[in-house]
Amino acid sequence: MLINLRVWLKIPDAEAATVKNTLVRRLSYGKVLEDVKKERLISIQVDSGDPEELARAFARELVNENKESHKVLIDRLEFEEGYVPVKVALHIEDGEAIAIRDRLRKRLGYQNVVDVKKATVWKLYFRLLRPEAEITAREIAEKLLINPHKDSYEIMM
Amino acid sequence: MKIAVMQFPGTNCEFETLVSVKEVGMEGEIFRWNRPEGEMSGFDGFIIPGGFSYQDRVRAGAVASKEPVLKALKEEAALGKPILGICNGFQILVEAGLLPGLVPGKGKVQMALAQNVMVSKGEIVRRGYYCDWVYLRHDASSRRCSGSYQIEMGALLKIPIAHGEGNLVTASPGLIKKLNDQEQVVFRYCDRNGRVIDEFPVNVNGSTESIAAICNPEGNILGMMPHPERAFFAWQLPSFDPRKHRPNEPGPGRRIFESMKRYIEVESC
Repeated sequence: MLINLRVWLKIPDAEAATVKNTLVRRLSYGKVLEDVKKERLISIQVDSGDPEELARAFARELVNENKESHKVLIDRLEFEEGYVPVKVALHIEDGEAIAIRDRLRKRLGYQNVVDVKKATVWKLYFRLLRPEAEITAREIAEKLLINPHKDSYEIMM
Repeated sequence: MKIAVMQFPGTNCEFETLVSVKEVGMEGEIFRWNRPEGEMSGFDGFIIPGGFSYQDRVRAGAVASKEPVLKALKEEAALGKPILGICNGFQILVEAGLLPGLVPGKGKVQMALAQNVMVSKGEIVRRGYYCDWVYLRHDASSRRCSGSYQIEMGALLKIPIAHGEGNLVTASPGLIKKLNDQEQVVFRYCDRNGRVIDEFPVNVNGSTESIAAICNPEGNILGMMPHPERAFFAWQLPSFDPRKHRPNEPGPGRRIFESMKRYIEVESC
């Protein structure tokens, strides 16, 4: 079973604002780009247990409810209409994901945790329709959101 | 001889870098990122100091590398002017495609300075931010690179590091071989005897082949993770180093700035 936690800030996200600013002011996407938002995606693979209950427990550990909101998706990953989600993850070893896995297994006793993966999902809001929006999202990913020597990306449409 | 010490939002080593520039007899000033980029042509060399430009948002150096001053810096680099990127400055030069600079003019990113991964005896023993004094071995010939112009091959320098993303990785096949073949690897992490041991704590961040600094093929651009401005004076050395207590003795980092000065004197003639 795969428990996906989509986590986003309730307070303004300065990193998303910087990305928007860079795309508009430095990379000339002002005419087509309306907004940028960002989420953390934590995907936890477990081999046993009640997924709903585990998801609630993992969220208690990994989400700070004072500043973050989250959504749980079990064995599926979907995003809303209205933006192009670009998932960026390390293709080299991800130390933070390993640290989360080890913390869940060794410190918190969730022996049913098999693997943890972590990614950032950039939500690009365009004034473009779908095929052009996807092409532009790819362009933005390659120009700013990833360094291909350590990151990979996926358009989640 | 005038050096621009570049300042981006989040840069935090610009003032001690400027002191180092002036101490070796060069003029210098802080050059804010939002000044008209045309003013850069009035300088003989450039230093991008350490810090956390734009708070390392997206990844270290990524946002600063898109600023108009970087475009101007590429034009100045093409004229052969020396550029030194220290720590975050190195990360910015990599993200801008100026280093390793094997695809000139295209700005193609050819490597990454990824998150530190410290490996010992086949196991990961630590990750992330790390600061310590390290030894560097100069692996290029003197005169190969502007920032080590006066440093003999094999010389050891004791200089501190302080970073979370200094692990040089690349997905380009043959890139490391090319850097070695073209003598673009300027410094490697080593032990006090100059031995390169590809394990923590000698290789402090997991960098491929213990690479700590590289230059472009032309040799005028140097990027290095360690901070020479933090070892410019002997009194900056750690207390267990006997040189710390010798008044007026230069620190090992001074040689980087002296090299830059000598490079300008010789190469601009």
